[in-house]
Amino acid sequence: MDHPVVALDAIDAAYEGERSAALHSVTLHVRAGERLVIAGPNGAGKTTLLEVINGLLPFQHGEVHVFGRSVAAEGRRLRTRIAYMPQDLFFPPATPFLVRDVVMAARYAQIGPFRWPSAEDRRHVACALDAVGIQALAGRPVGRLSGGQQRKALLARALAQGSRLLLLDEPTANLDPVARDEVARVVSKVEEELGATALVVSHEAGPLRDGADRLVCIEDGRIVADTLQTPSRAALVPAGAF
Amino acid sequence: MFHLPWHIVLPTLLGTVLVGALCSALGTFVVRMNLSSLGFAMAHAAFAGAALGLMLSAAEPLWFALVFSLAVAAILGPLADASRMNADTILGVVFPVTMALGLVFLYAAPSSGIGSGALSLLWGSVLGVTMAQVAWLGILSVAVLVFLLAFGKELLALLLDRRLAEAAGMPTRATFYGVLFLIAVVVAVSLRITGGLLIYALMVLPASAAFQWAYDIKKVFVLAPALGVGSAFGGALLSLGADLPIGSAIALSATAVYLLSIAASPKRRRPR
Repeated sequence: MDHPVVALDAIDAAYEGERSAALHSVTLHVRAGERLVIAGPNGAGKTTLLEVINGLLPFQHGEVHVFGRSVAAEGRRLRTRIAYMPQDLFFPPATPFLVRDVVMAARYAQIGPFRWPSAEDRRHVACALDAVGIQALAGRPVGRLSGGQQRKALLARALAQGSRLLLLDEPTANLDPVARDEVARVVSKVEEELGATALVVSHEAGPLRDGADRLVCIEDGRIVADTLQTPSRAALVPAGAF
Repeated sequence: MFHLPWHIVLPTLLGTVLVGALCSALGTFVVRMNLSSLGFAMAHAAFAGAALGLMLSAAEPLWFALVFSLAVAAILGPLADASRMNADTILGVVFPVTMALGLVFLYAAPSSGIGSGALSLLWGSVLGVTMAQVAWLGILSVAVLVFLLAFGKELLALLLDRRLAEAAGMPTRATFYGVLFLIAVVVAVSLRITGGLLIYALMVLPASAAFQWAYDIKKVFVLAPALGVGSAFGGALLSLGADLPIGSAIALSATAVYLLSIAASPKRRRPR
């Protein structure tokens, strides 16, 4: 049987300086190509879960493996293969970066030291911008874009990185309904184009949840429900059953 | 002071131009990454170190300046890096300590005192620059240019957003400390020309002015040294012509460039 793309086993994690754990004994296995939505109230541990998976937050107990490799041992190397979109990142108006440079930066770690982006890298960036529909904004300062356009630029980053694992933290947060639906559509398109495994944090009902294969609910740092979704109905399955 | 012979004026002008380029190029990191307090602390530590060198009658007090500014980078860098200490606290602790140490060292210096060598550490000197020092500044300028080109991607990723860079697998910590130590070296080496009190102006003002003109960080990296060179050269001419301390003249010149940039910045124009 194939290894799961993401495997968390009995994870306890706490932020530095905090006594109480943000995740308690969390076990979660995600298979290749699965689209999983993580839901739960504010402060439940959704963002913490993504940060543990990509190795940005050290965990105290348990094991985390991504692509069959230990995150504790190979965190930075693994992160070059994981596309991560943080929740609260918005670029202020004076940000001195153009959209195409923001997208290109996702490829820097793969290009390696002492080398600059090649024509092939620029082609990847152009394709990614095209795929999310912001090719015309490539030369614009990223801070001058609307909230929805900035989220699309970050999605183009994820696409340009060419990763097979997407971790998207509230990709439609703080957007008006029109922008939210459009970004949700782009998320689905990006997931399909990459054929990627995707873990998407979203605490609101809508197209992001509707398109998911699986819904995982977190409360107080614990997985309280793990639901397989089909277009017709959802079936409740025990947490950590995969 | 234009009556000074060329063998004195030329190294001063050359050194000033190189210091202007170096400080403002690294100032781009200081401004964009909000490292102002750390840069300020390094500048004052360098002053205290050079004062210690004078007290010990060292042949080259700037080696002591280098050790002090590197020590501040090594000690305070991790604290600022992990946000364990906020910028105001760093400034509040380091500024009085380094200034007090610097003045105590100067007081105890064998020349008893506040001679011209000591004063040049505070606000720079047109007379203290030799062609050998200009050569060192030239070597340092080439080293900084090589660093910027070799680690350009890592530096740009860091300047865009550190968390994004880290999440994409970039070596953010090593890059951050590379920048910090380079700033410490440039501060110490520039001390002779601009002085410990005002070097900070050359590090922050031209880079801040460059950010007023460009939305593209790559253009900022060209503009900031250009404005730094202009500010430093203008300040040197002002100092030579009006017989002013060179550090003060450079600071005034850089302030003028910054204010003009603010006034004319395309970023501040309202769309019609």
